[in-house]
Amino acid sequence: MRERTIFDSLAWMALLLGALLSTAGFVLAFTTAPMVKGVDLQVFAQIGGVHVDYQLLFSQKIFYFHMPVAITSFIALLFTAIYSIIFLVKKDPKYDLRARIATEIALVFVLMTMASGMLWERYEWGVWWTWEPRLTTYFILTLMVIAYFILRRALDDPERRATYAAVFGVIAAVNAPISFLITRIIPTRTHPVIFRTDSGLPPDMLLPLLLSMFGILMVAFGIYRFRLREQRLRLQLEDLKAQLED
Amino acid sequence: MDPILSEIYQTVLGAAPYVIIAYALMWMILLVYVLIMVFSLKKTEKQMAALTEELRLRQKG
Repeated sequence: MRERTIFDSLAWMALLLGALLSTAGFVLAFTTAPMVKGVDLQVFAQIGGVHVDYQLLFSQKIFYFHMPVAITSFIALLFTAIYSIIFLVKKDPKYDLRARIATEIALVFVLMTMASGMLWERYEWGVWWTWEPRLTTYFILTLMVIAYFILRRALDDPERRATYAAVFGVIAAVNAPISFLITRIIPTRTHPVIFRTDSGLPPDMLLPLLLSMFGILMVAFGIYRFRLREQRLRLQLEDLKAQLED
Repeated sequence: MDPILSEIYQTVLGAAPYVIIAYALMWMILLVYVLIMVFSLKKTEKQMAALTEELRLRQKG
C-alpha cells in the first residue's frame, strides 16, 4: 500500500486549524467588527454609549466569508491550470487526477460564492441576479467549471478524456484572473476592488477577514489532500481487483 | 421599539435572515462535500483492507 506523504499527515491538521481560524473569523465578524455605515439619519440614538445617526448595514457581514470563498475558488482554478499544463507536458495521469480534484474543489467554492453573493444581492439590490461585469464573468467561470465535468463524463477513452479536460481546464482557469481583475478594468459602484493598499479597512474588520481567508484556504487544502488520498486508494483498489481476477 | 432605534435597526432586522441563510448555505455546501468525501474514503479504505487480506491469503495458499 502507498505510504502516506507529509502532506497527507498535514491534511487533518489543516482541516482542523482551518475550521478553528474560520470560526474565529466568523465570531469576530459578528462581535468586534463594526457595522458599515448606511444612510445618514436626521435623528440620532445612543447605542452602547456610541452616538449613532446612520443606518447599519448588517448585510455586509456576508462579505467576511463571501470574499474568502471567492478567492479560494480562483486559487483552486489556478491549480487546475498548473496541473493541467504539467499533464499536457508530461502525460502523467497523476496530474490529470490532481487537476480534476482541484476543479472539484473550485466547484464547491464557486457554489458557496454564488449562494452567498445572490443572497446579499437579493437584499441589497432587490434582485437575485444582475448582469454587472463581475457577476457576468463569474457566471461564465461557473458554467465552464460545470462544463469541465460534463466534458469528462462524455469521453470514455481515459487518455483522450485527460487531454481534452486539461486543455479545457486551462481555458476555464483563464476566467479566474479576468473575473478577479474585471472590477479594475471596468469599475462599477456595486463591486468593490479588493486587495488594494488604500482599502481603509480598520483592524477590527481586517482581522476577521484575514482569519476567515486563511481558515478557508486551509480547509480547502485539507479537503484537497483527503480527496487525493481517496482517489489514489481507489486506483490501487482497482489494481488489486485486477490482480485478484488474474 | 424606540422609533429612532427602529429606523437605525431597519436594515439590520431586514438583512438578518439573508445573512443567516447565506452562512448556513455556505457551511452546508462545504459540509455535504466533506461528508461525502469522508464516507467515500472510509468505504474505499475498508474495501482495500479486505482485498489486501484476500490477496495475502491467496498468495499464502
